[in-house]
Amino acid sequence: MIACGVDIGSLTAQAVLVDDAGAILAHCNRRARPSPVDSAREVLDGAAAAAAVGRGDIGATVATGYGRQKLVEVGLARAHVSEISCHGAGAFHQLPGARTVIDIGGQDAKVIRLDPSGELGDFVMNDKCASGTGRFLEVMARTLEVDLERLGQMALQAAEPTPLSARCSIFCETEVLHHLQRGVDAAALAAGICRAMADRVAALTRRLGAEPAVTMTGGVAKNDGVRRELERLLGQRLVPLPRDPQVMGALGAALHALRGAA
Amino acid sequence: MITLGVDAGSVLCKVVVLADREPAASGEAPSGAKLAEGAAAQLAAALEAASVDRTATAGLAATGRYRESVAGADLREEELACIGWAAREYLPEVEQVIDIGGQSITALSLDAEGEVLDFVRNDKCASGSGRFLEVMSEALGMGVAGLDQAAAAAARTAPISDQCGVFVESEVVSLLNAEEPPANIAAGLCEAVARIVAAQARRLGGPGRFTITGSVGRLEAVTARVASMLDGEYQPFPRDPGLAAALGAALIAADEL
Repeated sequence: MIACGVDIGSLTAQAVLVDDAGAILAHCNRRARPSPVDSAREVLDGAAAAAAVGRGDIGATVATGYGRQKLVEVGLARAHVSEISCHGAGAFHQLPGARTVIDIGGQDAKVIRLDPSGELGDFVMNDKCASGTGRFLEVMARTLEVDLERLGQMALQAAEPTPLSARCSIFCETEVLHHLQRGVDAAALAAGICRAMADRVAALTRRLGAEPAVTMTGGVAKNDGVRRELERLLGQRLVPLPRDPQVMGALGAALHALRGAA
Repeated sequence: MITLGVDAGSVLCKVVVLADREPAASGEAPSGAKLAEGAAAQLAAALEAASVDRTATAGLAATGRYRESVAGADLREEELACIGWAAREYLPEVEQVIDIGGQSITALSLDAEGEVLDFVRNDKCASGSGRFLEVMSEALGMGVAGLDQAAAAAARTAPISDQCGVFVESEVVSLLNAEEPPANIAAGLCEAVARIVAAQARRLGGPGRFTITGSVGRLEAVTARVASMLDGEYQPFPRDPGLAAALGAALIAADEL
């Protein structure tokens, strides 16, 4: 049987297909559309095409992320599971030694504790403020006029990060613009942005404690500039995942689908 | 006597020509990389509109976050001092001013002369400021000025939280997806901004007689809600509230030059 997980985030959407042993057959990762249902259809079709199977071959689908209830209502998924549970399950599947999972999504930042058997323990997440989430990096990349995907590499080329004091992304945007107008090197600013971002994520992580092995999921996990700063601040390595860290939520959902179907 | 005031703010640069302590002409342009040129062009246009020759003016006072970038200023004054000065000039009895600017929400208390006694300002979060409303009104497909009319026509106040603008933008998109009329969302946004602003005013202590200035102070949908949330007596700023700092700068120039 093929099981499927769909994760609709605020900025991006993913689907993962797994076989009955839980091995990943295919995944699809796209920018989210305004409607979670449209996003889900797009990534489901994308993943099915990548695995060369029809939508009818998929046995069970579980949804997670923003709008997950809606996907159940319209019949695109059989059940929905929380993002925290899915990211934990996905990361543990790929890295069985994982005890701390830092998941940075488009608008949220979560730190999840797993026990040695992969069961969900405690977690912490941002609530009032979106600084320290993917959205912060997105706004900053736009201010620097570089692609979000390039920001991390650019940061690694800087000799010294430009210190940024503002916390709110709106204030930080003004601060970065001001530096640019004064001719500050864009790479140094990129490094400053990654450091500011890592500062916030590290503060959140310390609230729960960074028990090793620590790994990272979500789109920001692909940013090497943030990873390097976060490793420095936490004083330990972030263990890389063998698959795209952005699809861990969808993988966790697929594993839930598989377990539910068994 | 004719003086000039320039308020080079974080989002907008405003200029005013002040003749005998009253605004004769004004203008505004986005602050940006070319702030100095923009300010000069706005000043030239305002002087022409007021039929005043620059050589006939007694002086220019600059204020706002980027006041150092304004060329030809005789005085550079702190923004809150200017807001306080303008409030005291046009509202002699006012005790507190709530200024809602492009990125800032500031509550300030005044002494009898119009000097600033104390103030509180948002320092960590820009939620509820002008920039917040700019982003939200874009999501609604209307300008900030359109929020006023829309909110007045609302059948109900859509539920909007007073959190980070990034989350609120998602709330707005979700409400639109659920086919909530934009007017109701506009009312919800004005209500959320009013809650944030009122909380800031309360942090400074009971407002007594207060007024509201800054570009967001132009929105009656916001000011009326703030007024109803606070115990003090609201006195509407009797000139363009968005020009308060520029007016105050020009008034200080008139008093000191």
